[in-house]
Amino acid sequence: MTRVLVVDDAQTVRLYHRELLEQDGFDVDEAVNGLEALERLADTPYDLLLVDVNMPRMDGYTCVRRVRTDGPDIGVPVIMVTTEGAAGDREQALSAGANLHMAKPVQPEVLLSRVRLMSGVLS
Amino acid sequence: MPLIRRDDAAPAPGQERREIPRDREGLIAQLDDKRPVARRRASRELAGDAGAVDALCDALEREQDEGCRHAMLTALLVTGGQRVQERLLPLLRSEDAALRNGAIEVLQGMPKLAAGYMDELLADPDSDVRIFAVNILESLRHERVPDWLRGVLERDDHVNVCAAAVDVLTEVGDDHCLDALRQLPARFPGEPFIAFAVRTAERRITGEERGDGR
Amino acid sequence: MAADAPREATEVPGIGYEDFTRFREFYYRKTGNWFEENKRYYVDKRLLARMRATGCGTFREYFVRLRFETDGAELQELVNSMTVNETYFFREEYQFQCLVRSMLPRVVKRKKPGETVRIWSLPCSTGEEVYSLALYLLEYWDDVDDYNVELIGSDIDTRALEKANQGIYEGRALHALPGPLLKRYFRRLPDGSHQILKSIRDSIRISRVNLQDPLETRPYRGFDVVFCRNLLIYFDDAARRRAAETLYDALNPGGYICLGHSEFMSRISSLFKPARFPEAIVYQRPEEDQT
Repeated sequence: MTRVLVVDDAQTVRLYHRELLEQDGFDVDEAVNGLEALERLADTPYDLLLVDVNMPRMDGYTCVRRVRTDGPDIGVPVIMVTTEGAAGDREQALSAGANLHMAKPVQPEVLLSRVRLMSGVLS
Repeated sequence: MPLIRRDDAAPAPGQERREIPRDREGLIAQLDDKRPVARRRASRELAGDAGAVDALCDALEREQDEGCRHAMLTALLVTGGQRVQERLLPLLRSEDAALRNGAIEVLQGMPKLAAGYMDELLADPDSDVRIFAVNILESLRHERVPDWLRGVLERDDHVNVCAAAVDVLTEVGDDHCLDALRQLPARFPGEPFIAFAVRTAERRITGEERGDGR
Repeated sequence: MAADAPREATEVPGIGYEDFTRFREFYYRKTGNWFEENKRYYVDKRLLARMRATGCGTFREYFVRLRFETDGAELQELVNSMTVNETYFFREEYQFQCLVRSMLPRVVKRKKPGETVRIWSLPCSTGEEVYSLALYLLEYWDDVDDYNVELIGSDIDTRALEKANQGIYEGRALHALPGPLLKRYFRRLPDGSHQILKSIRDSIRISRVNLQDPLETRPYRGFDVVFCRNLLIYFDDAARRRAAETLYDALNPGGYICLGHSEFMSRISSLFKPARFPEAIVYQRPEEDQT
């Protein structure tokens, strides 16, 4: 089973992503901010992280930077989701260590195809 | 016996007090100390001092150490007041997500001042700033929160601002928000997420569980 | 009443599943405590009791009050009623196991010969936790004879500290303690209670400290492990942030902090990083930090 960790402080977003991904056969866990994501990662290996940017206690960029430097799986694929499609967001996401950047709102089919691609389901 | 007791290990606070100047100027100068622990201590001891707000905010904007930022933001939260709010609002436009979110957390803790700036913030031309305004509302103890959020649903034409507002309404919404919620999907017909979020919020507000039992 | 209990057991009238979901998201955000589904009955019961106490006829009325009340007084009342504030010897023993099997072996790697391992129990209340630590180290830590260990228990409540100094316990406080340890480390008093041996009492320091006072807490530093269980949930946001900062400065770089079993640092502060061990998740002050 391919495991995805959805990291977002908005519960509606977490629920939405969970439903879409579970219907597509993924196993989904949730975290409400970057810190909780790190707690989950310490516990469970994931095939993909889907990470929001603006979250309390720890933002998405800081979270991804910590994943990339501190592990436990520094190579885990990361998709970052930002509210604006501005170039600055994309650059910040990629320089923090994300593999891919998407702008909100995310269309279901786009989300699924990206997640399938990045989590290795297609490979 | 491997367990040892050292009663002299911790000097009484009074003894330490004499070693380091405790006046405001001394502590403000210490905000520039090259050791993070000294900057953290100075921040902590400046908490509650309204005369140190500008110095703390200046230091916060320069500070790169995460622990020191944490301490400076906490000090500002403890002090509170108009000046803190005036200095933190511009940080919502910072490119630095950690600083932005830190400012939001402090503003959330100062509910009494929110009425003074919230309307303006929710009308900001920058949709990201409007989203941050909604983020402040998420944890704000203020009776107008549902009204502000309803206003967003009725007036804001940016899908992400409305989505953020719907999310907060899943927690704080009341019956007065239901009409505005139900009308929202029609304004964003191409966005299945909005329809989903609205259904979730409606369910939480009315307490009616959905048909499939989840 | 008992006859139809099975059906009623999971649902308390007046609080629906959506209400429970709404409440637990809020409560988690405010306190860092998460209620699993199997806690629902317990949570609903306490909510209902607070609804009665505040004269709120519906969950929604109560939730509005809880959520928007400016001074947060009702939230505090609710936290108090949700929290099982009991302390006894070897409570949450898995964390002590984690201490001797996982944390201390890492801590002593950084120590030079002759250096002291320092452990802080806060709040130590009437002493059960800090004495449990002492007994646990003496009994179960293989390297206990190779290192000096300094144990400090602190609390803000001086009446509790007096009891901690006396070290006299009975019944409930001792129920989880293995029998042989009770025999080895306690003296039975004429009234049937048990007093922990003077040699143990004398080797532990008990002190009064207010975690919220920066001057009082300044001398508390250089700890390798801090046990701070079920305290932070009682603080508001600002106090919780301050407490996290104080604990951060009290720890050596790389030092560990243990919270209560349903407390998560992820809702409190970004200062620490999670450290996963076979026995427990604890939190660590990053090693690379400068002081």
